[in-house]
Amino acid sequence: MAKTVLIVEDNELNMKLFRDLLEAHGYQTSGTSNGYEALDLVRKLRPDLILMDIQLPQVSGLEVTRWIKDDPELRTIPVVAVTAFAMKGDEERIREGGCEAYLSKPISVGKFIETVRRFIG
Amino acid sequence: MNKPQRESVTVSNIIDDSLNELLHPSARYDALASARHRVFMAPRLLGSLLAFAAFPVYLAMRGAPSATEVAAFAWLIAPILLSYYLSRTGRYESAHLLSSLALVGLVMVIAINTGGIESFAAMWLIAVPLEAALSASRRAVAFASLLALGGILVLIGMTSFALLPASEVGAISHSVLMAFGIGSATVYAAGLAFGAESLSRVSVSLLSVEEDRYRLLARNMSDVISRHRRDGAVEFISPAAEALLGTPVSSLFGHGLFDRVHIADRPAYLKALSDAARGGESCSVEFRIKCDVASSVDGVREAPRFIWVEMRCRPLDQAPDHAKAGESGVVAVMREVTDRKQQEQALEQARVDAERADASKSRFLATMSHELRTPLNAIIGFSEMIAQEDVLNIDAARRKEYAQLINDSGQHLLSVVNGILDISKMESGNFEIALEPFAPRPALINSCNLLALKARENGIELVTKAPEDLPQITGDERAFKQIVLNLVSNAIKFTERGGSVTVTAEMERSNLVMRVSDTGVGISADDLKRIGDPFFQAGKTYQRRHEGTGLGLSIVKSLVVLHGGEMSVQSKIDVGTTITIMLPLCPAPQARTDNVTTLTPAPRLLATRDQVKKSA
Repeated sequence: MAKTVLIVEDNELNMKLFRDLLEAHGYQTSGTSNGYEALDLVRKLRPDLILMDIQLPQVSGLEVTRWIKDDPELRTIPVVAVTAFAMKGDEERIREGGCEAYLSKPISVGKFIETVRRFIG
Repeated sequence: MNKPQRESVTVSNIIDDSLNELLHPSARYDALASARHRVFMAPRLLGSLLAFAAFPVYLAMRGAPSATEVAAFAWLIAPILLSYYLSRTGRYESAHLLSSLALVGLVMVIAINTGGIESFAAMWLIAVPLEAALSASRRAVAFASLLALGGILVLIGMTSFALLPASEVGAISHSVLMAFGIGSATVYAAGLAFGAESLSRVSVSLLSVEEDRYRLLARNMSDVISRHRRDGAVEFISPAAEALLGTPVSSLFGHGLFDRVHIADRPAYLKALSDAARGGESCSVEFRIKCDVASSVDGVREAPRFIWVEMRCRPLDQAPDHAKAGESGVVAVMREVTDRKQQEQALEQARVDAERADASKSRFLATMSHELRTPLNAIIGFSEMIAQEDVLNIDAARRKEYAQLINDSGQHLLSVVNGILDISKMESGNFEIALEPFAPRPALINSCNLLALKARENGIELVTKAPEDLPQITGDERAFKQIVLNLVSNAIKFTERGGSVTVTAEMERSNLVMRVSDTGVGISADDLKRIGDPFFQAGKTYQRRHEGTGLGLSIVKSLVVLHGGEMSVQSKIDVGTTITIMLPLCPAPQARTDNVTTLTPAPRLLATRDQVKKSA
C-alpha cells in the first residue's frame, strides 16, 4: 500500500508542487493550509510523514508540530519542516521545535525526494 | 650701612638654608612641624658652638681644667647630637625627652660638684620643664618636670646629709658664680620664650591661612556644601546654593531644601542622608531639585524648572560632646549634573533607537528573504520537474500547466521585487514625485475602469462617485493613480462574491478626500494598528487566500505622506473596510523635502496585499 504524506502548506503553488512531486514518486498525498485542520487530519489519516510549512496563517507550523509531538499516539510520525525562513538561527529554532528534518525553500527536487525516502522509503 | 645689613641678611640666609637642610623630610612640608624642628635645633646648635668657642677663653682664665670641667664641656656636645638625632629620625617628642635628660644630667653633675642645692647651676633645673613646654607634648612636659623635681630633691638630700664632694669652686667667689648662673639661665629662658612666641605665631598664622583657604573654597566653589541633621534638616549651606537654585540661602535652612526636591526623588534623597548618618559610609544620590528662574525684566516670574544634582553625603566626624547626644550629622556636597543626565538620556535613547532600527532591519530582511523564496520555490521546483519529465512521466498538458505556473510565480516575484524597490526608494528619500496640477476625477475614473473587469470576474459591484466639479489638485498624477489602483484592487481582493466596492471623492475644506469602502472580510482591531506596515497582511486569524506582496498599502501610505496627506483605516470584521485618503489641494513646500517615510516592517510577514502595477 502506498505511503501517505500530509502536506501543510499555505501557498497554493507550492502545495501543487509538493503534491505533484510526491504523487509522481508514488506517494499518496493529503493537504491543508490550516494548522488546526492539520492536527485533525493527522489524527484521522495517521499519515506516514508530515511536510510542515512553518509560516501558516492561523497558527505557526512549529506550534502544530509541538501538539503532534506532545501526543503519544502521534509523536512517532516524522515531521519535515519546509520553510522559506532561511535566516541564521532558523534551522536550530525549527529543529528544537521537534521537527525531524528541515528543508529550506527553494527546494531541490532531488534532495526533497531523498529526504522523504529517508523517512518512509 | 647697607653693606653690613646685606651681609647679615646673607648670613641669616645661610643659617636658614643650612637649618632647612637639616630638617627631617617628614617636617619639611608641614609648616608647623618644620617651625618646631627649627626652634628645637637652632638654639642648641648655637649654644653648643658658643660653648665651644668659650672653652679656650675659660682655659686661659682658669689654667688646667679639672675632670668635672672637662666632662661638663664634653657634655655640651649633647645638644649637637640631639639636633642630629632629630634631623635623622624626625622624632620630635623623643628628642625633647632626651634633651631634658641631657640638661638635667649636665646640671646635676655641675651642681653636685659646686655646692649642691646652693650651687649656681641648680637654678638651671627650672629651665628643664620650660624647655619641654615647646614640645607640645604632655608626656615630654611631665617627664621633664619629674626629672627637674627629682634633681632638686637629690640635691637637697645630698646637701642636707653632707654627701657632696668637696666643692671645686675654689677661688671664684660665690656671688660671681651666682650671677653667671642667673644670667645664663635667664638668657636661656629668654631664648625659650622667643621660640615659644615664634611657634605660636606660626601656628596662629597657619590656622588663619587654613581658615581663609577654606572660606575662599566654600564661597567660590560652584559645588554646594551643606551640613544636615540626622533627619535631613539643613543646619548650614554654602552660598553657592544661591547661584545654583536661584533662591536666598536663608530659605534653604531647615526643611527648605527638602521642599525643593522633586517629589519622586524625595525617598532617595532622605535615604541617602539617613544612610550616611547611620551607616557611617559616604553615599551618593542623584535627584531633581526645583530651581527658581530669575524673574524676567517685566517682573513676571517664570515657571520654576527642575535641575539634576548629584549629592555626596558623608557622616560628620562628631565632636565628643555631640556623640553623647546621639546626634550624628551629615556633610553633603551637591553639584549640578543636568547636562550629564541629559547626555545619558540622549545616549540611552540613541541606543534604544539603534537597537530598534537594527531589529526592524533584521526583520525586514527575514521577511524579504521569505517573500522572495516562496515564489522561487515554485519556479525552481516546477522547472526541475519539467527537466525530469521522463522520470516523472510528465505529459505535454502537465508541461504546459507547469510552464504557466512558473510564469505566474515569476510575475509575482517581479511584483515583489518592484514593491521592495519602491519601498526602499521611499525609505531612502529617493522616490521622486513630480508635483503638477492635474484633474483627479479623470485619473480616478481611468484607474477604476482598469479594475472593472477584475471586479466583474469576482462578482463584485464597483461603484465610483466623484462630482463633476472636483477641482484640480497639485500632486503626482502617476502616484495618485497608483494609490487608487492599490486601494481598489485590495478592496476587490478582500471582498466576497456578491459584495461591493465604493470609491468616492469629494472636497473637504482644502483637501481632496477619497474613500474606498468594501463589504469584505474586514480587519481586526489588532491588525489595524499594523496596516500599512510593509509586508504586513492582515488576517492572521482567518484563512489566507489572497495573493500579493503585503506591500501595496504600505506604498499607498508612503505616497500619501509624500504628498503631505494622511491615510486612515476604519474596519469591522465581516462587515467591511473603509480606507480614507486625504490629500491637500496644494502640498506644503516642505512636503517635498520631507519625503522620507519610516519603514516599520511587520514582525511576522503574511504575504501579500496587492500587486504593484508598475508602468515599467
